[in-house]
Amino acid sequence: MRTPRSLAVVLIAVPAWLLTPLHNQIEHERQQFQYGGAPVTRELRDQIGQGMAIALLAGFRGVAADFIWIRAHDHWEKREWLLQAESIENAAKLQPRSTFFWDSGSWHMGWNIARAERIGTNDITIAQGLIRERYWHQRARSFLERGIANIPNRFDLYFKLGWLYDQKLARGCGGDPECVKLQNTKAAELFIRASEYPTAPTYVARDAARSLEKAGDLPAAYDFWVNKIWRDDRRIRTAADRTIVEREIRRLEERLDIPAPSRVFPKTSAS
Amino acid sequence: MTERVGFSVARVGTIAANTFTESLRQKVFNILLIFALVVIASASFFAEFAFEEDVAVVASYQLKSIKDTCFGALSVIGMLIAIVGTAMLLPNELENRTIYTILSKPVRRLEFLLGKYLGTVLLTFVSVVLMSVMFLAVLTFKEARLSQPAKAVVEQTESPVEKQKAQEQVAKIRAEAFDPAIVKGILLVFVKLCLLAAITLLVSTFSTSMVFNVAVALLVFFAGHLVGLAKEAWQAQPLLVYLLGIIPNLDLFNVADDIILGNFVPWAHVGKVTGYGLVYLSGVLAAAHFIFSNREI
Repeated sequence: MRTPRSLAVVLIAVPAWLLTPLHNQIEHERQQFQYGGAPVTRELRDQIGQGMAIALLAGFRGVAADFIWIRAHDHWEKREWLLQAESIENAAKLQPRSTFFWDSGSWHMGWNIARAERIGTNDITIAQGLIRERYWHQRARSFLERGIANIPNRFDLYFKLGWLYDQKLARGCGGDPECVKLQNTKAAELFIRASEYPTAPTYVARDAARSLEKAGDLPAAYDFWVNKIWRDDRRIRTAADRTIVEREIRRLEERLDIPAPSRVFPKTSAS
Repeated sequence: MTERVGFSVARVGTIAANTFTESLRQKVFNILLIFALVVIASASFFAEFAFEEDVAVVASYQLKSIKDTCFGALSVIGMLIAIVGTAMLLPNELENRTIYTILSKPVRRLEFLLGKYLGTVLLTFVSVVLMSVMFLAVLTFKEARLSQPAKAVVEQTESPVEKQKAQEQVAKIRAEAFDPAIVKGILLVFVKLCLLAAITLLVSTFSTSMVFNVAVALLVFFAGHLVGLAKEAWQAQPLLVYLLGIIPNLDLFNVADDIILGNFVPWAHVGKVTGYGLVYLSGVLAAAHFIFSNREI
């Protein structure tokens, strides 16, 4: 009986070791494609709890991340902002290739928590509330930047970060024109980057042009509308696209007082 | 006498069909399967935790959550069916003494073992197919519900901009719900289950206790998912890393999470992982055969 058992060990061991190059190749591909997520370190185990860590170790990373997201939602309902942010961070850490966790997590930080922190308590001044709000805006920005570092090959998070600059960071400048210009320029850069992806919806490019205009660079905005949107078939897919773009180009041609021969839409006698 | 007859695929098929029929009669599998179907059917109730304004983003998360739950159920219940189904094969045959009747006929032990294994593989396959059908049904139901508001906008709105946006949302939800890459995830779960069944069979060739077989197989399941971590932790000890090669790395089969997230998983990668699983499985079955052929029955 001893011989067959030893032989049995050899029969498993030999193919297993022969498989080492294939195994290494598969692991290399997994790293290359960024499959999986953060390794289960002691720190992560402490943060997510023992039960979740076991689920994670058993290969149920997605389910564990979903449950942590539900926990984040629970903290949101209880107005436990720091715990909510921690759960959001953990969900994103477990599945860093999930656009949803970065996208929705930044929305919670930049919109919901930021506003609640500004107006939610009675014992702070307006200025203190604004400082708290800006802290969460910056936290949302940094969170999205990490998201982009993990998912650089999709338009979603570039767009979301552009939207944060446009809706929150530029509006939080308190009327300082230099700051507004800077934040809108940044928003435009991100919208332009997002619009370069073939999967980006048509409104992404239009938002880029609008941000250039908000940044005060009207010639660049006009150039973008004409050369990057109007003359690009991918951006004009429907009659609605055509109507919107034509309206915006006509408006900018008026504002910039473009000479008639250079206009895309020359003035008609009626106009 | 039994060792002198030639190998017969037909006999393997007969034993496999018989094993499959016997397994179907076991209440434990029906209960496990019903439980899995209930979990999968109720997956959509775990998916209500997204409150963004964008319908497509909410749909994306809800579909992700449903797919995570369904793949989880498929993997856990499939694992239990494969392990329990295989663990009870040889102990039951020995306890009921039916193995003597079979092996006293011109049936080779290899045919008997392969037949038993393939019967369980068939049972696992049928379970996976049934769970996948339920999975698809849940996705179809959810897709219809999630895209309903956008479809209503398409039908009712006069605004071309709103109509275009709603149409894009409907298309996005549909594409995400019925992503054909899910098949790759299901295939690799099935290969992993076949590998676990083979390991359980190997254990049952030298053990007589079904509980022991199940326990060892479950330990291998957990160890298989820890191989990657152990390798990282023992980087400085090449001998240990070398010895770890004997444990199958079950984490390699986990591409479902990435498929759900919309990450590209090429067929070439799926093929390599399948190849890894099949070669490992063949080695395990060969070892099981060597032990079983020399076992005193």
